[in-house]
Amino acid sequence: MLGKEYEFKIGIIKKIREETYNVSTFHIEVEGLNGEVKPGQFNILYLFGGGEVPISISEIGRRRLAHTVRFTGTITNMFRELTVNDKIGVRGPYGNHWPIEEHQNEDILIIGGGIGIAPLKPIIQYVKEKRSKYGKLIILYGARTPKDLIFKSEFEEFRKIRDSELHLTVDRGDEKWKGNIGVVTTLIPPLKLNIENTVAFVCGPEIMMYYTVKDLVKKGIPETKIYISLERRMRCGIGLCGHCQIGPYFVCKDGPVFPYWKIKEYFGVKWI
Amino acid sequence: MHTRGLPLKKLGLVIGDWRDLERLFKYLKDSGYRIIGPKVDGNVIKLKELKSLREFPKQISDHQAPGYYRLEEGDFFRNGDDSPKKYLFPPKMEIFKVNRDLSISFREIEKVKIAFFGIKSCDTASITIMDKVLGERGDSFYKHFRKELFIVTENCIKPGENCFCSSMGTGPRVQSGFDISFTRIDGKILFEAGSERGVKILEKLKLPHANAKLKKKFIEVLEKAAEKAKANFEKRFLAEKLELAIESPIWKELAEKCLGCGNCTMVCPTCFCFDIYDEVFLDEYSKRVRYWDSCFTYKHAEVAGGHFRPELWARYRQWLLHKFSYWKRQFDMLGCVGCGRCITWCPVGIDIRKAVEKVLKWVDENVR
Repeated sequence: MLGKEYEFKIGIIKKIREETYNVSTFHIEVEGLNGEVKPGQFNILYLFGGGEVPISISEIGRRRLAHTVRFTGTITNMFRELTVNDKIGVRGPYGNHWPIEEHQNEDILIIGGGIGIAPLKPIIQYVKEKRSKYGKLIILYGARTPKDLIFKSEFEEFRKIRDSELHLTVDRGDEKWKGNIGVVTTLIPPLKLNIENTVAFVCGPEIMMYYTVKDLVKKGIPETKIYISLERRMRCGIGLCGHCQIGPYFVCKDGPVFPYWKIKEYFGVKWI
Repeated sequence: MHTRGLPLKKLGLVIGDWRDLERLFKYLKDSGYRIIGPKVDGNVIKLKELKSLREFPKQISDHQAPGYYRLEEGDFFRNGDDSPKKYLFPPKMEIFKVNRDLSISFREIEKVKIAFFGIKSCDTASITIMDKVLGERGDSFYKHFRKELFIVTENCIKPGENCFCSSMGTGPRVQSGFDISFTRIDGKILFEAGSERGVKILEKLKLPHANAKLKKKFIEVLEKAAEKAKANFEKRFLAEKLELAIESPIWKELAEKCLGCGNCTMVCPTCFCFDIYDEVFLDEYSKRVRYWDSCFTYKHAEVAGGHFRPELWARYRQWLLHKFSYWKRQFDMLGCVGCGRCITWCPVGIDIRKAVEKVLKWVDENVR
C-alpha cells in the first residue's frame, strides 16, 4: 500500500502526569506497533492538523507506553491541550536501543541531563525487573533548577531498588534545595566505580554529553563502554528524509544510541 | 578508458537513422508508455511528456556556464534544470489523508508506465543512485513510480562546460541502468541494448550491425567526450580525502558567496531530503504532504531546543561532504553524477568542481 511506511496506530491517552511547569508524561495505550519496544527507542507522535514529532519512550508497559514531552516547539506545545481519552497517532518504535542485554552482570551507570533522563528511564525499569542479572545501579541526574527535575515522584522508588544510588544536581538551587549544585559532570569525580565492570549510558544536551564522556574516560571507563543517545531533527524515522544525519549516520536508524567510539570522529566536530 | 565495456553487450551496436529512432519512439508509445523526454519550454529544456519525437530538441544547443544557461541553435543539448527525480520522487505530493477520527485514507495511484526517452548518461546514473537511496530503503511511492520504468539514454557526444561525468564515472557513455541507448554519429544513430527488454525491442527493429569503421568512430567520439567531461580531481579516494578537511576553516571561505537558496539541491538529480507537513482542510481532514527539502534551509537541522548547523558554512559543508564523502559510507557509491546542474543553476555561479579542488588543496597543504 502506498504510504504504508508512514501509517500510524491510534493511541489513547490514559494518564497525564505533570512533571514540571513545561514537561508532562503521557501514558498512551496503543496496539499494533512495529514490534517489541526496547529501552532507548522512540516513537513518532502525530497530532491532527499539527504534524509529527519524535519523542523517546520513557516507560514500557504491556500495552502502554509513556512519552515524556517538553512543551518547547510547535507540535509539542499542542500537547498542552491534550486530556485523558484523547487520541493521537503513534508510529514506531524506531531506532536502535541501549544494549542493556549485552551488559549483564555489569554495574550500570546512568547519566541524564534535563529531559535526557526520559529515554534512560526504561533502563532503570529493566534493571529493577531483572535485578539479579546486573551489578550496581548508579543514576546521576542533573537539571537546571529544582523546578526542572522530572520524575520526582519516582525518586524514592529508584532509591529503593537494591544496590542502587541516585545522585541529583541542579545548575542553580533555590531556598529549599539542599542537594548538590553544579552541572552533572560534578557528580562524576567523587563516584566509586568498579571501572573494570561498568557500562555507562548517557543522554542529555550535546555539550553535557561531550564533557560527561570526557570525565568518564578520565575516570578510566573505556570509550567502547560508554553509550550516548543523540538528538537530531528526525522527520521520517526510517532513514529516508535526510534531516537527522551526522556524518555518514542517520540518527533515526543507525542511532539514536551510539557507542562513543563509533560516533567519536563526528561528535564534537563543530556544527556537523 | 571510459569506453571500456567493449565488445558490446549481446546484440552489440546496431545502426539506423532518425527514422528508426522514431520507430522506437512509436513502439514504446504504442506499448502504453507515457514518454517523458527533453522538450524546449520557454528558455529551458525541460523533461516533459513527448507526444512525438518531433518535439525532441534536435537542433538546439544549451550553452551552460557557472550561473548561466541559454538555449541557442545547434546540434546537441545536455540537460535543463529538472531531472528524472521529478517523476520518480515528485517535488510535492500528498502521502495520505487523515480524517478527524485519525483514520487514514490511503491513496490509490494508477499504475504509471513511464519511458524516459533521451535522458543522458548522468541522469541514468542518478536513477541507479535513487534506486538505492529511496527504492531499496522502502519508499513506497518511489517504488510505485519506478516499477514499470523504461529508460532510453542518449550517449553524450558533446558534454557541456559544466559537465564532469567522466570524473564521476557516470558517463558520457552509459554503462548500466538503461534499456536502450542511442548515439548520434555522423548523421546515423547507433543503438545499443542495456537490458533483456532492450534486446527484444531492438531485435524487432531489425537493424544491421555497425561495421568496424563506425564502431571505431563511436569509440573516438565518446573518448573525446570523456576527455572533455573531466574535473581536475580523481574519484579514487575522493571521499576519504575530502573528509580530512572536516574541521578545516576552508568551508567558511567556500560558502562566502553562497546565498543558501537551495537551488543546487533542487536541481540535483540525487538530492533526496524531504519533509512532511499537515495541510488542513475545513471539511475535517488533513493531508500529509511530502515536499523536497534542502539542507541549505535554516530549519533543516533545527530542533525546538537548538540548532545543529546555525551558520551557512556548516550547511555548505554538510551538502558537499554528504555528496562526496558520507554518501560512500551510507550507500557504497558517491552522491554526485557530474551533471553540472548545481553549477549552472547557482545564482552566484559557485562551481562545485572548484570547491572540491580547493578542499583537496587544503588537505594537501595542511594535513600531514
